[in-house]
Amino acid sequence: MSALFEEFDDIADLALGLDDPSSGTRIMAVIDLADSADPAAIPYLTLAISDPDAGVRRQAALALTSFDGPQTAGALVIALSDSDPAVREAAAISLTELKDPEAGNAILPHLGDTDEFKLLSCFAGIKELRRAEAMVPAIAALSHSSAVVRVQAVGVVGWLQDEASLLPLCDAADDDDPAVRRAALAALGFSKSDTAQKALMDALRDPEWLVREAAAETLAKSGSPSCVPALRSVLTDDFWQVRLKAVRSLGKLGATEAAMQIGAMMELNLPNLRKECAAVLGELAVPQTRIFLMPFEDDTDPDVRKNVRWALGRIDKTAA
Amino acid sequence: MDEILDGLTQIDCDILVIGGGTAGPMAALKAKKKNPEANVVLLDKANVKRSGAISMGMDGLNNSVIPGYATPEQYTKEITIANDGICDQAAVYRYAEECYGIIKELDSFGIRFQKDQNGEYDVKKVHHIGTYVLPMPNGDTVKKALYRQLRKARINIVNRYMATRLLTGEGRVAGAICVNTRTAEFLVVRAKAVIMGLGAAGRLGLPTSGYLYGTYENASNSGEGYAMAFHAGAGLANLECYQINPLIKDYNGPACAYVAGPLGGYTANAAGERFIECDYWSGQMMQEFYDELQGGKGPVFLKLDHLAEETVAEIERVLHIVERPTRGHFHAGRGTDYRKTMIEMHISEIGFCSGHSASGVFVDENARTTIAGLYAAGDMANVPHNYMLGAFTHGAFAGEDAADYIKDMDFAEFDHAEVEAERIRVLAPTKRDDGIPPNQIEYKTRRLVNDYLQPPKVTAKMQLAQKRFAEVREDMEQGMYVRDAHELMRALEASTILDCADMAAAASLYRTESRWGLYHNRVEYERDDENWFCHTILTKGADGQPAHAKKAVQPYVVDIADEEKDAYYNQRVDPSVAAE
Amino acid sequence: MPLSQTATMVPVTVNKDLCIADKGCTVCVDVCPLDVLRIAVTDDGTKTAYMKYDECWYCMPCEADCPTGAVTVNLPYLLK
Repeated sequence: MSALFEEFDDIADLALGLDDPSSGTRIMAVIDLADSADPAAIPYLTLAISDPDAGVRRQAALALTSFDGPQTAGALVIALSDSDPAVREAAAISLTELKDPEAGNAILPHLGDTDEFKLLSCFAGIKELRRAEAMVPAIAALSHSSAVVRVQAVGVVGWLQDEASLLPLCDAADDDDPAVRRAALAALGFSKSDTAQKALMDALRDPEWLVREAAAETLAKSGSPSCVPALRSVLTDDFWQVRLKAVRSLGKLGATEAAMQIGAMMELNLPNLRKECAAVLGELAVPQTRIFLMPFEDDTDPDVRKNVRWALGRIDKTAA
Repeated sequence: MDEILDGLTQIDCDILVIGGGTAGPMAALKAKKKNPEANVVLLDKANVKRSGAISMGMDGLNNSVIPGYATPEQYTKEITIANDGICDQAAVYRYAEECYGIIKELDSFGIRFQKDQNGEYDVKKVHHIGTYVLPMPNGDTVKKALYRQLRKARINIVNRYMATRLLTGEGRVAGAICVNTRTAEFLVVRAKAVIMGLGAAGRLGLPTSGYLYGTYENASNSGEGYAMAFHAGAGLANLECYQINPLIKDYNGPACAYVAGPLGGYTANAAGERFIECDYWSGQMMQEFYDELQGGKGPVFLKLDHLAEETVAEIERVLHIVERPTRGHFHAGRGTDYRKTMIEMHISEIGFCSGHSASGVFVDENARTTIAGLYAAGDMANVPHNYMLGAFTHGAFAGEDAADYIKDMDFAEFDHAEVEAERIRVLAPTKRDDGIPPNQIEYKTRRLVNDYLQPPKVTAKMQLAQKRFAEVREDMEQGMYVRDAHELMRALEASTILDCADMAAAASLYRTESRWGLYHNRVEYERDDENWFCHTILTKGADGQPAHAKKAVQPYVVDIADEEKDAYYNQRVDPSVAAE
Repeated sequence: MPLSQTATMVPVTVNKDLCIADKGCTVCVDVCPLDVLRIAVTDDGTKTAYMKYDECWYCMPCEADCPTGAVTVNLPYLLK
């Protein structure tokens, strides 16, 4: 009978395979070292990241996701400059799987790298580690020539949730690239400040619907009653997606003054929007909106009629 | 490999966990964490690295109860209503209270959940009362991350052994009998506690494609947990509440309306109109789906063609990477472009799975079954609408409870003749020179399941099914033939599938009312709260056949107002909106 | 009662040139939940992985975990 249990082999024994002339054997050794989940394997995998064969290097970059900490991160950062794109890609993905804030020590020195891919990947990696030291280089990268880098940099700043970063984030909310603007607006969600609210309200007039949508959505978190008029102004947006988010945020903000306007939207032939309007009318529970809801109590769309009935019930309960 | 060898090994452990998919690894980890001295063995029919329903990962949590988005009270109420009130709330409520801790723990394992630009969980609004969907952008790493934790904790992992029967003695669990799937060698594991996490009975009905393995569930989940619990004498609850899901036709994978839903996609009839609520998979929803298909308004589709290009691209990115990545291949092969064509949907074959319904091995809020020392968690245990996070969370409950249970406990004595009897039963197909191969036994059983057990349920048809199942059983016991150890595994699965088919028929015949929408739509009976507002418990009778009993629903932890109780039901039957 | 040899088109294919089963690699065989892959010795004596049993859930670990990209999972013909 072969071995019953999965084995816990000696790491040095497993690593012998890394010296084999056949790349296949070296790949298998890398896989076994990863499966060991034993940190003693890290130095060997770090060596394998410089193997002459790209297949071995890629496997090593994948294998390092089994581990964490600065040594792992250091090896992955090296692999970000690999000559083979598959190795670089694997290293970049593995870098985003790190959890140990200490791993950031190996990434922080590279946050000003000139290679775009490396820089991008390092920002993506440091984001989840929430290292305060990343704030300055990330803010600097908000003016990087590549929009993809700027998006990642916004993420790093947003995750740190520091009011001191509001102005740079507001600048990013004015970026030339819509993806950067969208990310920056969402990143403002941690702040209820006037600065954040102003940027978000301004963005409700952005030419790109995805940006307006992000602004309308984020106002549910950052907004206050003073944002209600701006949100009401996009209830007639060309894109139903933007209107839907505005309706939702108005509901969250308890904007009863918008209830009649939302009620009138029940007539629109857009199933998702009508569904949301009905739910928000229930949340706002303004008795005068009953007349907008009643015609749809038996709507053919089940989600709409469910929400309409729920809303009517809630209005009646609140009135009683 | 696959040559049949003669052999029997016996090992001892404190806690045997059977099934290395979702609930099992979490149970093993928690047991070991609580009692580092305990010898925990995790056994799987496949390889723990890639076994179970989430073999390739999962695209999100469907039932996360995260503070600020939903409360345990709301969640418990909704699950109770969705299950027509037949719900022991204690287990649901405990899940709802503790699952957030499990999310954070999974996060620390390296499994990432979608976070917004501030690093907060990006919970998507799907349900109207609460909000429960949390996407997992790198959900493909779930198994890898779990495996890493198992190795770090130095859990003893046994791969490629299939448990076939539980051992009991002194009124409690004593261990399990297992067979190697590549050599047919036997392994007897003596254990003080056994935790079962063997997944759904996914190979019960036959998919319309006719391909035995083209099932909704991972086809390796063939229902061993149900069969083993039955033969050991444990109680199984509400097996008549089948799982039936709305799926992509032929591909038979989830359409993932809960991924597309928050982004504006929905299930529509041929006219492109929404005809069911998108929020949940429930029996009522499946009844509507069935009616639409039967009523001339079908086919039924997942509609995404009204969405903006950016939105469709995002949906594709999620759906084609995680859970069932071949979905992209499938659509490409047929030239289906979400932007232009709606995706045809259909209803799945029947199965047992509490992931989306309410049937399974009866457990309490500590994941204890009706046999002392025996636990069950995940898709095979009867906590309703449990999904993946429920499997992790109840797996954790099982592991922690078992760690306490084994203290000061010795091995239960069992009858060694049981091991010999099981060897004879298991090896019988290897002792013949020719006969019926397991795939034919399985095909016939599952074809009969479709013909006679699939709802709407008709008494006379189900009785016919029982008669035909008995004939197949006779053929199986007297004439099944296998050539190698791999085929022997399939033979054992065929036997399990037949056990499950028998239980499905018996349980469905016992509950003489209709409930849970399509899941238990008995055309001759109306819903009957007076007599059937209860669980049904199926056990193995003295004659070896299923025996039945009613079990009262435990008093609710969370009160539900009368008008709310039937919220789903009332929504459907309103004559003004009923399907023509 | 002999068993028949019915032809079937298997969904999983392996590129022999990329497969490193020769080097002792069994990754695809190890990870398959349904255990349908095996290593065959080809005519020239080299080893390669192949699909021995047509019992595929088209789930993809074999393809995803193959270190050399040698494995392709197609949809079974009956449902594609």
